[in-house]
Amino acid sequence: MAASGSNKIKNAKLVLLGDAGTGKSSLVLRYVKGQFVEFQESTIGAAFFSQAVAVNDETVKFEIWDTAGQERYHSLAPMYYRGAAAAVIVYDITNLATFARAKKWVQELQAQGSPNTIMALAGNKADLLEARQVSAQEAETYANENGLFFMETSAKTAINVTDIFYETAKRLIQAQPVQNPQGMILAGRPSERPPTAAAASCCS
Amino acid sequence: MKSTTAEVDPGSYLLSRTVDGFGFAKQEQSNSTETLSKNRPVDDHPNDREQKTIRKWRKMIGVGGSDWKHYVRRKPHVVKRRIRKGIPDCLRGLVWQLISGSRDLLLMNPGVYEQLVIYETSASELEIIRDISRTFPSHVFYQQRHGLGQRSLYNVLKAYSVYDRDVGYVQGMGFLAGLLLLYMSEEDAFWLLVALLKGAIHAPMEGLYQQAGLPLVQEYLSQFEQLVKEYLPMLGEHFIQEMVNPSMYASQWFITVFSYSFPFPLALRIWDVFLYEGVKVVFQVGLALLRFCHDDLIKLPFEKLLHALKNFPAEAMNPDKLLPLAFSIKVSKRLEEFKREYEKRKERPLPHSLPLLSSSGIPIHNLAGLE
Repeated sequence: MAASGSNKIKNAKLVLLGDAGTGKSSLVLRYVKGQFVEFQESTIGAAFFSQAVAVNDETVKFEIWDTAGQERYHSLAPMYYRGAAAAVIVYDITNLATFARAKKWVQELQAQGSPNTIMALAGNKADLLEARQVSAQEAETYANENGLFFMETSAKTAINVTDIFYETAKRLIQAQPVQNPQGMILAGRPSERPPTAAAASCCS
Repeated sequence: MKSTTAEVDPGSYLLSRTVDGFGFAKQEQSNSTETLSKNRPVDDHPNDREQKTIRKWRKMIGVGGSDWKHYVRRKPHVVKRRIRKGIPDCLRGLVWQLISGSRDLLLMNPGVYEQLVIYETSASELEIIRDISRTFPSHVFYQQRHGLGQRSLYNVLKAYSVYDRDVGYVQGMGFLAGLLLLYMSEEDAFWLLVALLKGAIHAPMEGLYQQAGLPLVQEYLSQFEQLVKEYLPMLGEHFIQEMVNPSMYASQWFITVFSYSFPFPLALRIWDVFLYEGVKVVFQVGLALLRFCHDDLIKLPFEKLLHALKNFPAEAMNPDKLLPLAFSIKVSKRLEEFKREYEKRKERPLPHSLPLLSSSGIPIHNLAGLE
């Protein structure tokens, strides 16, 4: 998967956020494993995946945190988006309420997250056109106004799934040029970061 | 959420798929199937030893549970030992209700469940529906759209969300209810959920699902982290180095008491002990898993470590190997100390659970003196 012979591998922490049932886990499973099931078990807590993606002669290795979507689990989210290089915020195009929730996540990231976090907005379930409640136009406008990039995706048909992650990787590389010898801290993990950050666990 | 594939013809679906002894669609991994069949519940042909065990259990329980309390009072250690060996599957549903205190709740509150299901409306109805087909999706009982399994699950979760409107419905509860419904009726499962979350016998566990950040999850995880540091210091140090903390791998252990994504034979055996001895077995099993795989885990870097912590080898999931190891790890005393420290650190104690009173105003008898 990773470009062989590539000399630059960057680890990048990526978090998926969004309301319950919008398809966060399905997107990740489609992307990482090429699988899709109609009834994906609810995510309890969070799940971790990794996937490398080659962009030209560089490789980004995503460390993906797939989070539980229900509002009640909100308090567990900061430890996953804290220090994230990228966030994919997911809503369901057939459910207007999930779009409103996505906007809230954007606000929260803008307020609490790192200012350099690349944010992508995914309008998932794009195969269910007849049930659409959120127009692509509206989402696109919102994304542009808020500095996100936007794609409609379908974990079921695989439309735009690889693309949204690829585009994220591309932007990460653009935003963090290679001349910095230490590299940017993309992953926020100990090998790259002093252990003081260890205190940043969720269970204080 | 509309979808065409959801409306499979149930009959053909059931027949076309092979399921294991517990009703889960078989995975391709052959190694796990082997352990499964070894630990199958008592089937049509229990062997002599199993039959002897069942006879002993029947004697202990009495007709419909009539002798149970008497027996427990007289020989608590025998009961504990037998439960740790595993409750016979054919008696599991009944015994779970006896040891959890839910049977008493049921008897004290006739008609309440029906009232909650039929006459009350819940703010969580849509959320519950959304998750119904995502709870044990590989189990035959829950696969059929609007089938008995899904309807029962919906009713129990809805009833609870009305019974305690402050807690409502939280993802994760479905796995508790789903597990219980495989062994008992809706009403029985509901009262067992109440017994657990409101604390009929052991400390209430509703904090796992409460507002303000799932306070009990935070507390358990912090205690678990301390236990790991003390009992498995090298691994604890390795976790710190790799910045792996328990909320990354163990939150679901506590939130669902191992009923989520753990092999069913193991989950059942853990539940046998959990209902009788309380939540400490969750800590013990968690530590036992880490200890079992200690020498591998300690070598793994972040990414592989996280993968390993969610994918324990089949051998570690064998209840007859894992549970004896778990019981050998003594945690009660330290847990009590941690709890005291934890509560001291937080200025005020947790907003204490409502007594057994439903927020819809339906009176529920107090549990005092139940034992």
